[in-house]
Formats: sequence, structure tokens, C-alpha cells
Amino acid sequence: MSFEPKILGFLCNWCSYAGADLAGVSRMQYPPNIRVIRVMCSGRIDPKFIVEALRVGADGVIVLGCHLGDCHYLEGNYEAEKKFDMVKKFLKLIDFDNRVRLDWVSASEGARYASMITEFTDHIKTLGPSPAGGDNPDDEILEELKAIEEAAGSDRMRALVGRERKITEQENVYGETVSLDKFNEIFDLAIKDEYNRHRILGLLEKESKSVKDLAKELKIDSSIVLEHMITLKSRGQVDFGELLGITPTFHKL
Amino acid sequence: MEKVGAVMVVGAGIGGSQTSLDLGDSGYRVYLIESTTSIGGVMAQLDKTFPTNDCAMCIVSPKLVETGRHQNIDLSINCEILDVSGEAGNFTVKVKKKSLYINPDICTGCGVCGRNCPVEAIDIFNEGIARYAATFVKYPQAVPLVYAINKECCIGCGVCAGVCKAKAVEYEREDEEVDINVGSIVLAPGFDEFIPQQANKYGYGKYKNVVTSIEFERILSASGPYAGRVLRPSDGDIPEKVAFLQCIGSRDYTGEGQPYCSSVCCMYTAKEAVIAHEHQHEVKPTIFSMDIRAYGKDFDKYIIRAQEEYGIRYIRSRISSITEVSETKDLKLRYETEDGKVIEEDYNMVVLGVGLNPPDDAKYLAEKFGIELNEFGFAKTDVFNPVQTSRPGIFACGAFSQPKDIPETVTQASAAAGCVHQILYEKRGTLITEKTLPPEIFVAGQPPRIGVFVCHCGINIGGYVDVPEVTRYASTLPNVVMADRNLYTCSADTQGIIKEKIEEYHLNRVIVASCTPRTHEPLFQETIREAGLNRYLFQMANIRDQCSWVHMKQPEEATQKAKDLVRMAVNKARRLAPIDRIKLEVTQKSMVIGGGISGMVAALNFASQEIETHLVEKETELGGFAKHIYHTLEGGDVQAYLKDLIEQVKSNKFVHVYTNAEIESLDGYIGNFKTSVIHGPKKERAEFDHGAVIVATGAKEYKPKEFLYGQYKNVVLQSELEELLNTDSVIKNKKSVVMIQCVGSRNDEHPYCSKMCCTEAIKNALLVKKLYPSTEVTILFRDIRTYGFKEKYYRKAREEGIIFLRYDEDNPPEIITEDSSLNVKVKTAKAGDLSIPTDLLVLSAGIVASHEENEELAKMLKVPLNDDNFYLEAHVKLRPVDFATEGIFVAGLAHCPKTIEDSISQANAAVSRACTILSKDEIEVEGKTAVIDMSRCIGCGMCVENCAYNAIELIEDRHFGLVASINQALCKGCGACSGNCRCSAIDILGFTSEQIYSMITARL
Amino acid sequence: MTETVLEEKKIDEKWEPKIIAFLCNWCSYAGADLAGVSRIQYPPNIRIVRVPCSGRVNPYFIIKSLVDGWDGVVVSGCHPGDCHYISGNLVARRRFAILKELLEFFGIEPGRVNFMWASAAEGERFAVLIRKVTKIVKELGPNTKFQKEWC
Repeated sequence: MSFEPKILGFLCNWCSYAGADLAGVSRMQYPPNIRVIRVMCSGRIDPKFIVEALRVGADGVIVLGCHLGDCHYLEGNYEAEKKFDMVKKFLKLIDFDNRVRLDWVSASEGARYASMITEFTDHIKTLGPSPAGGDNPDDEILEELKAIEEAAGSDRMRALVGRERKITEQENVYGETVSLDKFNEIFDLAIKDEYNRHRILGLLEKESKSVKDLAKELKIDSSIVLEHMITLKSRGQVDFGELLGITPTFHKL
Repeated sequence: MEKVGAVMVVGAGIGGSQTSLDLGDSGYRVYLIESTTSIGGVMAQLDKTFPTNDCAMCIVSPKLVETGRHQNIDLSINCEILDVSGEAGNFTVKVKKKSLYINPDICTGCGVCGRNCPVEAIDIFNEGIARYAATFVKYPQAVPLVYAINKECCIGCGVCAGVCKAKAVEYEREDEEVDINVGSIVLAPGFDEFIPQQANKYGYGKYKNVVTSIEFERILSASGPYAGRVLRPSDGDIPEKVAFLQCIGSRDYTGEGQPYCSSVCCMYTAKEAVIAHEHQHEVKPTIFSMDIRAYGKDFDKYIIRAQEEYGIRYIRSRISSITEVSETKDLKLRYETEDGKVIEEDYNMVVLGVGLNPPDDAKYLAEKFGIELNEFGFAKTDVFNPVQTSRPGIFACGAFSQPKDIPETVTQASAAAGCVHQILYEKRGTLITEKTLPPEIFVAGQPPRIGVFVCHCGINIGGYVDVPEVTRYASTLPNVVMADRNLYTCSADTQGIIKEKIEEYHLNRVIVASCTPRTHEPLFQETIREAGLNRYLFQMANIRDQCSWVHMKQPEEATQKAKDLVRMAVNKARRLAPIDRIKLEVTQKSMVIGGGISGMVAALNFASQEIETHLVEKETELGGFAKHIYHTLEGGDVQAYLKDLIEQVKSNKFVHVYTNAEIESLDGYIGNFKTSVIHGPKKERAEFDHGAVIVATGAKEYKPKEFLYGQYKNVVLQSELEELLNTDSVIKNKKSVVMIQCVGSRNDEHPYCSKMCCTEAIKNALLVKKLYPSTEVTILFRDIRTYGFKEKYYRKAREEGIIFLRYDEDNPPEIITEDSSLNVKVKTAKAGDLSIPTDLLVLSAGIVASHEENEELAKMLKVPLNDDNFYLEAHVKLRPVDFATEGIFVAGLAHCPKTIEDSISQANAAVSRACTILSKDEIEVEGKTAVIDMSRCIGCGMCVENCAYNAIELIEDRHFGLVASINQALCKGCGACSGNCRCSAIDILGFTSEQIYSMITARL
Repeated sequence: MTETVLEEKKIDEKWEPKIIAFLCNWCSYAGADLAGVSRIQYPPNIRIVRVPCSGRVNPYFIIKSLVDGWDGVVVSGCHPGDCHYISGNLVARRRFAILKELLEFFGIEPGRVNFMWASAAEGERFAVLIRKVTKIVKELGPNTKFQKEWC
């Protein structure tokens, strides 16, 4: 049996959804794999939505909005782009970034919509089924996606992504502009850290573990895990547990 | 130029804070300038302090809080010095107050901004072990508790302004430049620790498990990143084998480090090893050191305990290389033992005992303030006054002039203040403002009318505790006539509201339910006092630090608890009564006991401030111990200095000298002592009143019973050799001089180090070599303790060909006599058994305190002695010249063995401490003291024994017979007496039993 | 423990003990504050009474607390040697060593009255100790000894 991917689309009401309708009115044919969720604006797409879709088994997720500059709500799609980029950066950590896509379709671009969906479906087909989908999803991948979903929804990431445009393109509270390089340096590190921290929290869900156990499972250096434990502890998310010989364990609070 | 009654103190570590407190308490306006964002310096970073293992935070934070809110101390943080002009008595300093981007007057220190800051920068206070926000406070107990934005890390996202409910974040705040006019300046910028450079031989920075001692201090700290667990950074395991390496960046001639000895590392390393083992018994420390320099008071005992009780292993060696075992991240240490064996050993973790460098901005400061630095880059100071810089009117204290530990720093801090007095004493009290307060409303006998103010603290309380409900509940409690809630009860506008409500509702008790009384009680007390209520008609309920913040996930229970705490506070408030602070008159005169250098320096300092001083000397001549010292190691002419001192003392009209004197009686208390002295050849009696006492009775040189001293004329003491060298030429014919160190020191009888014998031996050895180059000089030692810059002379002695041989305590040298010649047989660590013929054996005899003499005086003064018969100060770390009994201070050898310079510092420090009393006509003492109900007292005397301040004595009362009597001038209000009183005859004002019972019964 | 108490315990499964804590101003009270500043969570059963020094705590305070029905009592001072008042905590230590024996003789369970040390830097330790004490007192059940038998 050939693989028929499940694809979820988030379409903005004013351009892309209208574009999809136009494709229908014009009877343009495209693969039947896509299921569409209508939102008022691509800016509405919470980063968590995309990850949640992957987590429940979508093989691909496509987000479509108005062309830049055309947003019905002035700048919603610019925000969407930043948030999507963040999700992509997160997903790159687990090599999942090629299952999601952001693009622009206007209300008059029925043909562009159809071809885009066709192309994306083919792309996902060549990638094959998502390890997070099907009847026996890979537990580890699910854990990873869960960590990404939580990290992407954390206060810290929201604060950063929500202000990225303002401070890198316009001016920050001091009336200065932060270079994109400096911002990305902080942002990329935050992505890596928050992902690992939420992975740690996930791993501690079932049982308490030592720094070394965690490092082995996460395949990162144990000294970095220890640093994360200190941060998580100061946030009140983990605490020291039992001492096994000379190795302290941590548990989730 | 007109003198100015204000002083600038630069650097607000423990040293700067102490200077500021001393000067502020003596009536000067103090400008305390700090470059970072909070005060406390390095001491606030420490976990424990040696040799008592006191918790650093416990002892330092009350002092910092006091500094932060002292009405005569004007504290500015985040400052930079721009320019200095003027001269002693009148300087103008241009200071830049750098913007914190947060308004310090509005910030409540709640920390919501920091928790929401999305930028994680490296936390400097925790030495980079933890991450921190760009909006930060250095540590939770910081003074002032004001957040600041680190502009370098901040990306300007604006989150903090949004979450700050107090609206304290002001991004547009600008730097401010101010000119400050002061009469004198004290520099206390401290030190910066040595950080091994990249590609260092210890692998620091490359190997995760190699850390510096200051990083390890944070690892040990209960409030540090690992919450006091000893874990290694590579994997969070407990390191079982920990190697501590000494002299990292100290005593280093390779050019990587500094040539001097950093003085404190031997002790802090021993402490870190002990504490590590105490925190985690799995940790087995090994210390690699060259010499163990435990030269301070009670230090040697600490080292012995470290070895015997805690099993800490000492190895005399310097590590030649460290490599990492890549699989385990353990570290392979390679070292050579004293007998030449090369050993390789694996350790789980390595701690580098890094030395103390001059502060990074030392050059900058020196240039701005126009002072000279010495060859090592520290502030250059006077040979006989270690706090005097090269520029008159500018003083230095603490590690800025030489590496030193906390008590020495605190001593110097007070000493600097003592020297400031000499310049500015006439200007005391000219620039301080006394608040005029309305008369107190008479409330006695009236039914309580309680007002309760419940604080939201932004969302800090309101977010977890139902504040409206607590307020409603409070209003239902008996005697509560009004209850209100505020967003921030501590804000300036709420203070106005509280005052209005007091008037409107005729309140006579006020309760604030908010944060902790430890930081905020004085503020609210001041507010109600301004409204005419006695300060003590105030009570706080701690519903934030001890409720909302610790039960964030249980809002219902937290609300219930807050209600309980408010009810308990109301119950206590109903029983609150006004307390008067007692005022005592002060006799503005002093007495100094002991006419050695310390005593004379103290007397002259008093005299220069026109404070009449009675100087009491037991012997016929003034001069004391220094009579036998000719030069200091650094070349100071002691005899000339001493002669000058004696002349000055004798000719000064403010100093009354009594020689051949004995104290017949000494009565009274702080500010009001009365002493009777029998003096002179005719045994005349003199009686006088005085407000303070300085004990400078000195100590003696040990007269050895060992090594044939007194039996052979070729066996002399170090002091006798010095005399011979300076007055005679008999040494000329000597071929071989052998010196034996630690004679009468560091043994069972005198288990302490006499501190100066190593210095004396090297000083005399160098002089022998200089005068008679062909004479062979050998020094037999256990450890060479040339701490600080004295290390230079040790080095020089080795270069001059003086032979140093180490022996073990267990194998002391033996003297073999043949006819008139002497042979010293010694088992050395390096060269095995040796026999050294000598024609002059010099014994470095220690310093001993006389039990009989000191005990007699101690009893009269009611002050304690330690096991070695030296006087015991109030607190080893932070009150090194004070006694627990107020108004009495100690200086010089009476305190413990020390050098002349240190004695002089201590004398000036004691004067400064005494001036906090003598500068005033009257002193106000704490109102919350013990009171006695004589009708219940049976005179058992238990309280007398329990009182650490000698505030209680048994008296014969006309009506009640033998009863306890409390001297409220001395009482600190701790309540140890009350807690033990079998008849409930003693109560503590402010914490009366009735009040506490009422809180207990509020359980419901 | 009498059967009635056991029964009572069974009836009221939601019973939460009330614990009174006498903390010295300089170390333990500061430690409790630090736990707050560091947001270290612990059970809300404790009510804190600030005293200048653990030496201020009269044995009567403890007995009064038990008589008044507090289920547990904590007295916490500075670590030995750290006392702000030089030796107040040592005086307290001697006093409580005796009191503890006396209370045990009266039949007060050892876990109900607790003496401990916590420094100003030990916010975490404070929280841990309070968790421990709360757990112990919870297991012991309500304090009815004085009320039922003697009052």
C-alpha cells in the first residue's frame, strides 16, 4: 500500500483560505491529503499548534498566510514568520524541520495554492511517514516533540519571539536597534537550552534521575545538564532527590 | 581652606562598611561609594569564615543592613570616580552615578522583573556557575535590595517594565554626575582574585573539575547554586577525592603570578576543606602546600583540628602538572614529595587556592586620588601607620594595601576611621541632620485601637494570597478599628496614607502585613513615629517571605495562614506598650591601660582630638615590648619612633601618664566608668571618671627552658641577638649562627603561632649577613610564615645564602655540647639527619600572655580571656577590637601576637570604636531590653551566669533582699536570662512573655 | 495513642496539623526569609513567632503551645557558635535538652517538639526541616495529650 501522508494546513481567513476556496471554485485538482484549519490570521498560529499537530501524528504541517505587506491585520503575517522560524529552529534540533512549511497565498492565487499543496504532499511522501505518527509512534520522538511544544510555549521563548521584530527592526526600549546577529546568538542559545530543559523535565516525569543518566539519554555533556538542573531548580521545577552512592538524583516538582 | 565634616569611603565591602559605620556613629556625614550594585563585597560571597566556621551571611548581613539604613551614611551604588581635587580637610570628588535603569527609590526588590527576563547572562556573584537574568540583584539578601539592569546583556525587550507593578523600571534614566565635598577619604576597594590565564599548567578553564577557591566557596554555600551540596561541575557527582592546591598565583616568581604571599589562602583552604567534609562526609580533602601559614589568632588550632578531627591530609609539595583523565574527567596530579619521590595520583576534583591581586582598577584609583602604589601594585602605606597613604587626608584599609583577612580588614577599617578623627574632629556633628519629631502621643491606659495595613506587594502577595479576604478578616478582629490594603505598603505615598489613618482613626497600634521586619520594620516604625506614635507600638505580619512565596501552589492554605499570622500579630499588638530608649550621659574622657606602642598611639590619638586620656603603665618606663626592637623587617626605625612617641605622650597636656601604676578598682559601664589607680614610687592614689577603656597591656617574650637557654652564654634569644647586632660587634667572630624557630610556640603549652618570630629571624639573619658576610646562618623552622609582602625578605634571605632547613614537630633539634662548642643535631625533611656545629645558637622565642596579670584585670573589667590567656574580643571576625562588654576595647599584643604595624592599626581602631561613644554627650541605648520584677526574683543568680554582656548583677535591695539587677545600658535584649528564669521574674520589652503567650493562644 | 484519637483521625482525613515555630531573629528567621526570596516551597502548616534569640524561648512557651493545642512546636536558632548574642543559643540548647526529657516523661511524643538550627544562608535547609517536621507531626496526629488528660 502506498503511503498517504496526513497533512494539516493552517490557513488565514482573508488570503489563503480564500485562495483555497478559489482553487475549489476553479475546480483545480490537488492531492486529498490536506485537512485545513481556518484561522483569522497566520499571526494567530501559536507555535504550540504546529508542534501539537506533529505530536498527534501529522506527517506534515503547512501554514499559509497573506503575502508580506498584504495582511488584513497589517502585520500579523510578519509575526507569523518569526514564530514559525522559531518552531523550525526547534524542530531542526530533532531533524523534523522539513516536515513544516510556511508560505504565502493570496485570495486570487487558487492555482498557486493547488500547486503548493501538490508539491508539499509529494515532498512529505518522499520523506515517508512521521515517526511520531501511525499505530506505533516512536516514544522518544514523542518525548522530544512534547519538550519542544512546552519550550516553544514557555514565557521566555514567547517573550523573545514576541519582541524580535521590534528590537531588531525598529528600536528597543533604549531607542537602539539590536543587531540580528546578537539577537540570534541569544535566541539560538535559548532554543537549545529550553529544549534540553524541557527534555529533562520530561525524562524526570517518570522517575528521578542523576545528571549522568540524563546526559546519556540526551547525548549532551553532563556538565551542561548540571547547569540546566541549577536553572530548573531556581525556577522551582526540580529538586534534589535521593543520593545514590556519590551521585545525587533529581526529581520533578 | 575650611575643613569639612564629611568623609568619603570608596568601596563598600566589609572594610568600607565598617569605616562608614564608625564614622557615621561618630557624627560625620559619610558618602559611601560602591562600584557594583550592592554592598558586602567578597565576604557576602563566602559560605563560612575561619577559624570559627561562622556563617558569613549570618554575621555580615545585619552589618550591611545597618550600613544601608544609617541616617548619616549616604550610600551610592554603581558609581565611578571621575576626579579628585583639594587637600586634606577639604576634598572635592566628582562621582558618576551610573544608571541602574531602575528607580532605586521605587524598586521594592521583589524580583518579578528578574524572573521574567528572557535573557540569561552569567551570574557573577555565583562565579559563573549559575545563569542569571539581565535584570538582576547580586544575591537575595543584597543591600540595598534594588534590582538593576545589566545594560551589556539587556536586549531592551521591555518585559521587565511590563511586569513591574511598582513602575520602577525607567529605561530613560541617565547617568548622573555629582561633586561631593568631603574632609577626608578612605579607600577600601578590596582585591580581585588571581585568575589563571589561558593555557595555564593547572588546566583551569580547560578541565571542568578544576575550579578556583572562590568558585568552590559558592559551591559550598547553602545559598549557592548547588544549595550547599559539594558537587563537581563535570557531572554533578560528589567528588570523593578533592585536591586543594595552595599558592596559585602567590609566591610565584615565574611571572605568571605574584611574588608575594597572599596571607589568607592557607586558612581559607583549610576552612573550605573542613566545610566540604562537613557538608558531605564522602569528601576526603588533600591539601598540597609549601608552608602552612596559620599565623593568626587561633589559626593553628584550626589546622590541627582540620587534620585530627576532619582527617584532612596535608602534603608538602607544589604540583608540577595536572592532566585530565578523559573518560572519568578525573584529574591526574603529579608531584614530588619532600624526600624527592615523584608520585602520580588521581583526584575527582581540584580546587585552586588562588591568591589576592590588587583590585583591577588599582592604577585608575591611584591616579585619580593621587596616591602612590607599591612595587606589587597595592596602595603604598606608611611604615608605622598601615592605613596612611602617600597623600595626607587619604587613607586605605583592607586588602587594598596588602592581602589580609577579614578581622585585619575590619581592624584597619576602624583604624582608618580613627585617623580621620585626627584631621576632622572639630567638624563632628556639623553636617548631620537631626530630624525633629512631634511629641509622642500618650497612649498608656487607653484601649487599643489597631490599624491593619495589608500589602499586595504587586503580585508577590496578592498573586497567591487573597488579600481582600485577609483585609476583611483583619477588620473583624477585636480592637481593630480599620483595615486597609495597598499595592505597595512600603512606597512613599503609602507612608502618607498610614499617617493620615493614624490621625483619622486615632490609631494607637499599627500592624503591617507584608514582607519581613528584618528589612522593613525600621521604615514603618519611623512612619508611625512621625505621626506621633511610639516606635514600639508597631507590629509586622510576614505574609510574603514566609507565606505567599513559599506556598505558591496552595493559595487557599496560604490565605488561611496569612489570616492566622495577622491574628497573631493583632493579639500581640493589643499588648504592645510604648518603650522609651534610655539616654545615658557620657564622660568624654578615656583610659588606656598599658604604655607600650599600642597604648601610646591610642592615647595620642585621643589627645589629638582633645579627649582627655589617662594612660596607666605598670612599669616605671613607657615603651613596652618595643623597647627591645630596633628595626622592623621593612626597615622602620623602631627606637626613633618609640622615642618620639614617649616624648609626645609626656608633653601632651591631654594625656595623664601614671607609671608604676596599678588599677585598684574599676567600676561603671559604657560612658560612665570610674577608676582608681595607685601609682608612682610613693604609691599615690588617683581617681578619675572616663567613658571608655582601651586594654593595651601587651605580652611578654617567652623565656625558654629548652635548648640550654640560660646555661650557655652562646645560646641567646632573637631579641638579644638583635640587641647585640645593633649595639655590639661580638657577632663578628662567629662562624656559624643557627636559629631555631617556634621555641615556645605551636607546642602543647602554647598551641599558637607567635606570628612575628619568622619575620624577626629573617630580619636578624639578613643583618648578620650584611654586617658579616662570611658568617654562615642556618634557620631551622617548621613553617616559614612570612606572610604578605614579607615574603620578599624570605626570598632575599635565600638569595643571600641563608640556609633554611625544615624539621618536624615530632623531631625537634637537639643540642649536643662539647666543652664550649655547640652542635645542633636535627632530622630534616629534605636532607635527613644533620649535625650542625655552631658558635651562636639563637632561639626564636614566642610571645606569651601572663595568666595572673591578665586574669586579674579581666575580672575587674568583666571581659574574657581565651585559652592562651590573651583577651577574647566580642567577635573574632567582625568585632576584633571590641569586647562584648560595651565601652571596653582591646589593642596590641594583649589581643594576640602581632607586628608593630598591626598593633598601631589596632590602637587607632580601638580609638575609633571608642569615639563612637566619646564623640557624643549622651548615647541612646536599645529600648528592647530585659526588665526585672524584683518582687518575684529569688536571687538565684542563674541570669547573671547566662548573660553574655555582663548586664546583670545581684544586688542587695532594701525591700526584696538579694535580687538581680539589670543594667539597661549593657543589655542587648537577647532574652537568655528570661528564658531560664525559674520565677518568671525577667521579661523582655518588645517580646514580653504576655505578648508571646497571646500569639500562642491565637491558634484557633 | 488512645483509640478515640485514632478514630478521630480516621474521620478527619483532611486534618492538617498546626505547628508553631519560634525563630531567632538573626539566623533562622532570616533563613526562613531566604527560603521565601528563593521561592522554596514548604507545607503551609507552620506559623512563625519571631523572637530575638533562641535563648529568649522560655520552656513555658513550649508547654503553653502544647496546652493551647498546637500540634507541633519548632524552636530554631543560630548554629552553635553563630549566635548574634554570643551564647544565647547555647543557653537555649542546655535548657531544651532537659525540657525534651521532661516532655517525653510526660508522654509528649519526641517528634512533636523540635529543636533545630538554621542559619541565615540556609533557606533550603529551613524548608527541608519544616517539611520533615510537618510530616512527622502529621503522622503523630492531633495533639490532645494536655487537653484530654489534664485540662
